[in-house]
Amino acid sequence: MNEGLRSELSKQGIFTTTLGDLYNWGRKNSVWPLQFGLACCAIEMIATTMARYDLARFGAEVFRPSPRQADLMIVAGTVTKKMAPQVVRLYNQMPEPKYVIAMGACAISGGPFKQGYNVLKGIDRFIPVDVHIPGCPPRPEALIHAFMTLQKKIETQQLTGVNRPRHLDAEAPSEFPVPKFGGHDLEPPNNPAVWHAPKLVREP
Amino acid sequence: MNQPDPYLVIVVFLVAATLFAVAPLLLAWIWARTFSPRKPGPDKNAIYECGLESKGDAWVQFRSEYYLYGIIFLIFDVETIFLLPFAVAFTKLPVGAFIAMMVFLLLLVEGLVWAWRKGVLKWS
Amino acid sequence: MVMETLEQIKARIENAISGAKPEIIPNESPSAQRSLLLDPAHAVEVAKFLRDDSQLRLDYCSNVTGVDWLDLIIKEKVKVKKVVEGVEKEVEEPVERKRPGYLEAVYHLYSMALKHGPLIIRLRTENRADKNHVPSLTPVWRGAEFQEREIYDLYGIIFDGHPDLRRILMWEGFADHPMRKDYVEPDDYEYEPTPHDEVLEKTKQHHSPEPKP
Repeated sequence: MNEGLRSELSKQGIFTTTLGDLYNWGRKNSVWPLQFGLACCAIEMIATTMARYDLARFGAEVFRPSPRQADLMIVAGTVTKKMAPQVVRLYNQMPEPKYVIAMGACAISGGPFKQGYNVLKGIDRFIPVDVHIPGCPPRPEALIHAFMTLQKKIETQQLTGVNRPRHLDAEAPSEFPVPKFGGHDLEPPNNPAVWHAPKLVREP
Repeated sequence: MNQPDPYLVIVVFLVAATLFAVAPLLLAWIWARTFSPRKPGPDKNAIYECGLESKGDAWVQFRSEYYLYGIIFLIFDVETIFLLPFAVAFTKLPVGAFIAMMVFLLLLVEGLVWAWRKGVLKWS
Repeated sequence: MVMETLEQIKARIENAISGAKPEIIPNESPSAQRSLLLDPAHAVEVAKFLRDDSQLRLDYCSNVTGVDWLDLIIKEKVKVKKVVEGVEKEVEEPVERKRPGYLEAVYHLYSMALKHGPLIIRLRTENRADKNHVPSLTPVWRGAEFQEREIYDLYGIIFDGHPDLRRILMWEGFADHPMRKDYVEPDDYEYEPTPHDEVLEKTKQHHSPEPKP
């Protein structure tokens, strides 16, 4: 059905939609986050769910204490190297479709602790991240903005075809390797299937 | 014209209720079969333990003494709900209320003494 | 209240505990905060004395930290008698002395009861490799437990007599001690948006070759 016919029908009071749109509309308005916080960003995440900012307006007030019931992982805070395997395992235990918001400077890059010996330089080294929010910590408005960005992403996902999202693709993996504790660092230090270092070309 | 069977309404309701319950499940099943593939894995099927690797089985037996401990704890836990307003309004209470509260406490302490003598509090 | 001077405390320790050899470590920095070095054999006894003595009563251990001292070559000028051109003379000669490195645990003590402090005591290991044991003072000050664990984790000092000596920040099986000065960190500098100084040096080996103009 083309756009012209659709608008013509809506003028006559007939609402038309596709199965995929209906599916995405339902999904984007009931994204349930996994209830866990790693550091100070979690305080802002809690503030976002409370009455003043009210994440419930976006259908995401139900923070689930178990990964079995969650759709969204908000990595709120510093991911230490000791914590990284647990975070990856929790991500693996979530059913698909699943999304990740990396909240704050630490979760996206290590932040102020980047050169520390015990802090992972960004959770995107191990699991695919959908939305990054900078900030230390980001304000609740920033988290809400990230949430709306994620909703827009869900809205445009197609049900079939080559560009269909990971959870509809039987070949795409749903679990990612959990790093092991090594003698000097996590092993492997990053997942090359997920993370590619941006190529930096410096001016001479 | 024949009057319909008065029980027919119940049958209609029964069928509607069953359909109402089963139809979403059926739709979800058809949806899953058509579009989203199943992807089980070792981590996803593992016992959930806050992201840590679980040690042992999730189906463990608890000792029955634990249940008795729980009951005794609960009695004194609930008791504080009554004791707090009693303590707050203590100076304004008549003598009768004080005696009534002491009787209430005595009954509970009696229960504790009985359990104690029975050896419930001994954790062997 | 004013605490006794370090010299007085030292003299009273020597009186009370036979064989204890506390040593005053000077401090040439502007703070001039001197400290007391205890010998490991008598450290627990001395600590108990500091805690229980009626004039000191240092009942609060506010901070425990570690210091890593590398091997050091000390250059000194020593006067040596020498025969120069047939005449015996006193000549200054440069001498190089090698001081082996050691690890140090530093305790800051206060008295809650008498409201004075701090008294700083130090414990030294013999070297940085195999003789890295010092006695734990957790039995004396309970609050030192986690901080001694942290020092064990980050510096590798082994506290004898500690009730629960495990790593606290890093995992079991981690081979290094990250706060030691010779710690080599893993090379994960693939992506640094704004590198500078030593970080820039480390990221350079990950840079793609510069484009030819």
